[in-house]
This record gives sequence, C-alpha cells and structure tokens, in this order.
Amino acid sequence: MKVIQCDNVTKSYKKFNAVNKLSFSIEENTITGLIGRNGAGKTTLLKLLSGFLKTTDGKIKILNEDPFNNLFVSSNTIFIDENMNFSKQLTLDEILSAAKGFYPNFDEIMSRKLLEHFSLTQSKKHNELSKGMTSTFNMILGIASHCALTIMDEPTTGMDAAVRKDMYKIMLKDYIENPRTILISSHHLEELEDILEYILLLKDGTKYLHMPIVDLKEYAISFRGKVEAVNSLIKGRKVLYEESFGKDSIYLVIETNNFQEDMSEARAINIDAKSVSTNDLCIYLTNPKQGGINYVFSKE
Amino acid sequence: MILDNDNLMPIYVQIAEWLENEILSGNIVSDEKIYSQYQLAEMFSINPATAAKGLNILASENILYKKRGLGMFVFLDAREVIKEKRKTQTLKTLTLNLVIEAKRLDLGEKEILDMVSKVIQESREG
Repeated sequence: MKVIQCDNVTKSYKKFNAVNKLSFSIEENTITGLIGRNGAGKTTLLKLLSGFLKTTDGKIKILNEDPFNNLFVSSNTIFIDENMNFSKQLTLDEILSAAKGFYPNFDEIMSRKLLEHFSLTQSKKHNELSKGMTSTFNMILGIASHCALTIMDEPTTGMDAAVRKDMYKIMLKDYIENPRTILISSHHLEELEDILEYILLLKDGTKYLHMPIVDLKEYAISFRGKVEAVNSLIKGRKVLYEESFGKDSIYLVIETNNFQEDMSEARAINIDAKSVSTNDLCIYLTNPKQGGINYVFSKE
Repeated sequence: MILDNDNLMPIYVQIAEWLENEILSGNIVSDEKIYSQYQLAEMFSINPATAAKGLNILASENILYKKRGLGMFVFLDAREVIKEKRKTQTLKTLTLNLVIEAKRLDLGEKEILDMVSKVIQESREG
C-alpha cells in the first residue's frame, strides 16, 4: 500500500514555487531520507504532507485521503520539527501523558524510559530546555507516538553527536519492532544513511532522485589520474563533479550504468577508480555550480 | 562488529562478507539457520532491507538456501563455495593491485615473488 502519494504538487509563496510539480509515492513501512540543500523545498513538502499547508496545485494523498484539514490523517501522522509549540504550563511528564490522548498507539512507557536515558527531567517545562534537549524531547515524542506516518524535519538539530547516534539506533530498533512509514529530513546524511531504505533528493522544489539507497552507492563512479586518461573514460556521460589537482591530474565523478565494468576498465589503464560516498554524491548532484569553490577565488 | 563507513564497499556487500567470514570460521555450520534480516539490522544498526540484500546475495551464490517460513540456512558445501569465490575474485584483485603497485615502483617479477615468499616465511615463523 502507498502511504504517501504526490501528484504534480506545487506550493507557491507569492510568485516563488517552493515545491514545483512534484510527483512521487512512498510505500508502507519504509524509512525514507529527504535530502536537499537549503531552500530546496524540504520543509514546505513535509508541511504539505502533514496537512499544515494547503497545496497551490496538484494532489496529495496520505493514507488515501487529502491531508489538509483532515482529522483521520492528523491522528495517524505526527510532524516533528524544532518549532513545536507546547503549553508553557505543562511539564514534560504532562506532555507525554497528554500525547496518549492524541495518538492511540503512543508508547508511554517507552517515552518515559527514553526521557530517563537522555537525562531529561520529567518535571521540567518544555520552554526551559536547551536547544539540543528540545530536539531530543521532540524526537522522543515522535518515536513513541508510533504513528502510521512519522515525519521528522531536521529532528537532530542541536543534539550532540552521541545523542544523534543513540537516537537513530533507537528509531531503527523501534521501527523493526513496530514497522511504520517514516520520512525524515536531515543535513547529516552520513549519520542517517545506514538506517534508510530509500532516498528522496529534492532540488529547486522538484524531485531529482528517488531510489533505494543501496542503488545510490553504484549510481556514480569517481576517477583520479592524468587528465587525458581520465577523459578517455567519460565516453559522453554526464560529469557530476570535477576538480583538478597536482600536475595535470584530475578528480572526476560521472554517472554509471555498470559500476564493475567501469571500475575494471579504469584500473586496466592505471586510473584510480572508486565509488562515491552517498553524502558527497548528493552534494555534487545538488551543486548549482560545477567544480567546487575554486571559482570564487579565481583572479580571472 | 562496527561497519566500516570509510570502506567504499556498499553496506550490503560488507554484510555478505561478514556472514561469509562467520561461515568460514565455523561459527555457523552447514544446515544451521543463519541470522535473519532483522537480527542483522539490529546488530549493525542498518535498515532491514539492506540486511536482506546481503542475505540475498549469498542465496543467489548458493551459499545460503531458503526454507519457507523458517528463514535462511547454510548450504552443505558453503565453505568450499566461499573459498573458491574468494580465490577467483578477492585474491585475484589483491594480486592485481600488488602487481600494479610493483610496476609503479619498477619492480620485476622475481622481486615480487621474493617478497611474497618472504612474507609467507615470516608468517610461518611468527
């Protein structure tokens, strides 16, 4: 079953299309990473899916219904971000108790154990927490809610590295025990990628890539060596990134259909060929300018 | 074991290799049930679908077999299959890299062979 279906979705702010004719669908019980540069439309998309915003054009179906102004979708969806507003009167403990009323599958016992694990004091108020602790609490709420569709926008903002690592492990373990559909955006792809099944890459409000993350590892190949030899390997394919270094040497990333074949071909002519890390690849794919930062400093 | 994120091998290949090592070392024997995709996912903190891909590679290479509803098991001759595969693939690649590096250093065939025999001897003594 498809939990999310987007058909030609556009969201404009005045004349600017934050999300532009976007179509994709997400299957039930998968974890998808939403990746894109600042301003690519990630947050707008997540708010559209959660029913916080109304589309300008196109159709969204969450669990087969339009999410905007929809109680059925609201009770089956949770949206976590850093701007969550809770009453200033309520303690963390009281927020967790209240959550059960909104989300029938909310795992109160686990949520309290997680508070303890991350040393959050139950009697504190939400607005008394530090930035990292606010994110930690919000993410605990998101995980424990066990919503059919769990959406998180940059949930780890402000968390220290140890907490981020623990949090992703907890999320994965809980997902294995309670399969559900999770969509999570992050700028730390290298920390997140292992727990993902799919990746959705946005660029300028549209879909750039949507594929299993394991396939992304063989989507591109990098060559390092003498310019002439490296260029002979391109064969008209799309160059995603290039950078010169040393004496007439070059580092080049191109798209590939047959990773193994390209690899052996390069090695046969003494060129260093490697796969490209998912994080680097996403940066190359979404770069507005090719060739890195060198042009900024060029004197020409 | 922690997965090597700097390793440019895809995670599912690393999982398949780790399972092969478990079989080679005798930690999992013939006709024994191997870890499920969910056990692997928890052990390595990876998505269960990625773990499944690692298992499926081994199934397609006749190292594991599926029993409906029970999971995957180790084939009788799995160790031999793995050894043969490693010999014809892994070892060949390693040798190729050795030869390429030696060429870069202008070393001849005899010098390479001498180095190899020396290492063999040292590991025997050590």
